[in-house]
Amino acid sequence: MLDKTDTHLEALLRRRKPGYSLEAPFYTDPDIFASDLDLIFGRHWIYVGVEPDVAEPGDAMVIDIGKTSVIITRNDDNEVRAFHNVCRHRGARVLQDYKTSVGNLVCRYHAWTYDLDGKLLFAEHMGKDFDAGCHGLKPVHIRSLEGLLFICLSDDPPADFDDMAARMAPYLAPHDLKNAKVAFESELIEPGNWKLVMENNRECYHCAGNHPELTVPLFAYGFGFAPEELDDMGRLEAQRYADLVKASHGEWESCGFPSQMIEHLDDMVTGFRTERLPLDGAGESHTGDTRAACRKLLGAINDPRHGALHFWTQPNSWHHFMSDHVVTFSAIPLDAERTLVRTKWLVHKDAVEGVDYDIANLTAVWQATNVQDAELVGLCQEGARSPAYEPGPYSPHTEMLVEKFCNWYVGRMRAQGAR
Amino acid sequence: MDARTIRPDPRLASPAEVPPTWDPERDDVLVVRQVRQETADVKTFVLAPATPARFRYLPGQFITLDLDIDGVRLNRCYTLSSSPTRPDTVAITVKRVPGGPVSNFLHDHLREGSVLRAVGPMGDFTCAQHEAPKYLFLSGGSGITPVMSMARAHADLATGADIAFLHSARTPADIIFRAELELMARTTPTFRFAAICEADAPFEPWHGLRGRLSLAHLEAAVPDFRAREVFVCGPAPYMAAVREMLRAAGFDMARHHEESFDFATLATAEPEVAAEVIAAEGETSAARVHRVEFRKSGRVIECPEDMNVLEAARRAGMRLPSSCTKGLCGTCKCKLAEGTVEMKHGGGIRQREIDAGMVLICCARPTSDLVIER
Repeated sequence: MLDKTDTHLEALLRRRKPGYSLEAPFYTDPDIFASDLDLIFGRHWIYVGVEPDVAEPGDAMVIDIGKTSVIITRNDDNEVRAFHNVCRHRGARVLQDYKTSVGNLVCRYHAWTYDLDGKLLFAEHMGKDFDAGCHGLKPVHIRSLEGLLFICLSDDPPADFDDMAARMAPYLAPHDLKNAKVAFESELIEPGNWKLVMENNRECYHCAGNHPELTVPLFAYGFGFAPEELDDMGRLEAQRYADLVKASHGEWESCGFPSQMIEHLDDMVTGFRTERLPLDGAGESHTGDTRAACRKLLGAINDPRHGALHFWTQPNSWHHFMSDHVVTFSAIPLDAERTLVRTKWLVHKDAVEGVDYDIANLTAVWQATNVQDAELVGLCQEGARSPAYEPGPYSPHTEMLVEKFCNWYVGRMRAQGAR
Repeated sequence: MDARTIRPDPRLASPAEVPPTWDPERDDVLVVRQVRQETADVKTFVLAPATPARFRYLPGQFITLDLDIDGVRLNRCYTLSSSPTRPDTVAITVKRVPGGPVSNFLHDHLREGSVLRAVGPMGDFTCAQHEAPKYLFLSGGSGITPVMSMARAHADLATGADIAFLHSARTPADIIFRAELELMARTTPTFRFAAICEADAPFEPWHGLRGRLSLAHLEAAVPDFRAREVFVCGPAPYMAAVREMLRAAGFDMARHHEESFDFATLATAEPEVAAEVIAAEGETSAARVHRVEFRKSGRVIECPEDMNVLEAARRAGMRLPSSCTKGLCGTCKCKLAEGTVEMKHGGGIRQREIDAGMVLICCARPTSDLVIER
């Protein structure tokens, strides 16, 4: 007898083979994409930017996720707020620009005017019986984790954000992101499904062959390797790295920089991972010469040799917190086969461009790496469209975190009752 | 019209004919019948209705001119220097203000035969509403006009009122109506006139009271000033100084009257007037008037210091983007290229925008001449 509830997506989720990449429709099917937007991006905490994006009262930023547009703003009490970018009059978009500064939030259609807490202050010609109190902008849940801004479009956001925040705050706090500034920002549309973008990010298997810039500061060993395949030289390198990690963690933790790995990529609703990793060479930063890109260090950090704290969140972010700068990435799905990746480079807010840092040097490694990754993602997307594509096996040594991403995704989709 | 053109007037031909009272509701056109050069920078314009009519007004009242200057519609009020006892014409006496678009326009363009639109007369700065046996008229500069009207009326009607008239001028050459005032002092025993000058004029050293009006001047010239009903008109600082001086001298301020084009007061007392009146010439009004240039649209308006720029622009017929008019919505935000304003906004603009030279013109009052990028 046919199972009437056995829809396409539900069947695909149920028969997903652990340790293998997803079946092609997960990367190509517009209907599954619509479910992703609804169940993943509509119900989980989504990383969208940083507090310095809205540094001062009146600053506003617009984030579009699927059909939803959200205004993020800072009010006069210095609190960050989020609202649906939909005028309560006739639904016009209140703000159009990605980033802007406003006095109040004014819909340009009929000048309905809201304060920075969403309260309707002014609506002309609405008559005596009009109740402005019932027509404020609709709020959106927003949280700042030490300056990283997460929104949740659901009325009932996952409660374990607090657990993540409690664990992560000590790791992030020394970098004092709230007192940083966005020195540079790039938008890159990667020609692939958002899951391919994330999967690519969750492994460094591809690094040695594709990221000549990134592998100058970054030890590929930091994300796993197959020990039995290493030659003598390789074993020596691996041992040197393992010793370095151990020594570095001890040193960093002793001076107030939590460094040990925490990993809850697929066993929490708000999945995340962190670890402070040593860097190669001078060990200071993700730059071409591994030296700090900004002379003024973040927060109260006085030694540039604090490696790179990486922090990932499911479903859509990764970050590198260094002593001199922070690079932060947000992946926003555009359609089944395109994903917007926003990268922001932040330095201390008092650092002066051209004096303390140089934009080209600051951004070189990740500008190059992003372009390389976009190309790789594009190659996979093309493959997923091919009738010959079938899910392939992940490396147990270098792709276990990709597996955890897919496991989280499949688990969350099923938990949300994906049909 | 050529100055030598003879203008036959039925009133001279037929003594039985009494024209109707001028009603600006029916005919608001006035014709310039004569231009008199009073001093180097002051002219009097004698105005008559286009069709014969007589003016009825109280000495001290003003009319509002409705002008079209370079495509900019401007309403300005002027107190009448003429006396209602000579009802067939009215006169305004205007000092040329450097940079003032209206006074310069009047000085440069009005000729005999020019036509103007006007409404009025109106206003309640008049001795007629405060009858007293003894008056003190104090004036500064072209603020002389309303008290001159009162003095002329009393002289013409031979009321016998005891009038002391103290006028402040920069130099003896700037004393407006000097010959007439001196004549009135000679012919009317109850009329006394004295001028106070700050400086000599070329070829005319001043031997009278010198400096700025002080209590010592007043005590010397009009020892019984405390027993008089006082009418004051002149530049705002002058009027403020007089007010302070009288108060300090123990004067009963209930008997002190000053000309004021304060719009808040005017709007309450005479809303229909307030709607028409945009500003008075600098020296005859308590409110200073600033020139506001809109650079992109090429328009120039005048804005009194107690009016927001948007309202002045609207009254001048400009339609600028705006909505809430409360400083909330920011629709009227403009770049202020030159000048300074006083702004009380409602959150529609950020301090850093203000620091960057932006203003909300719906809630910005000029404190200097302005140039706005709009």
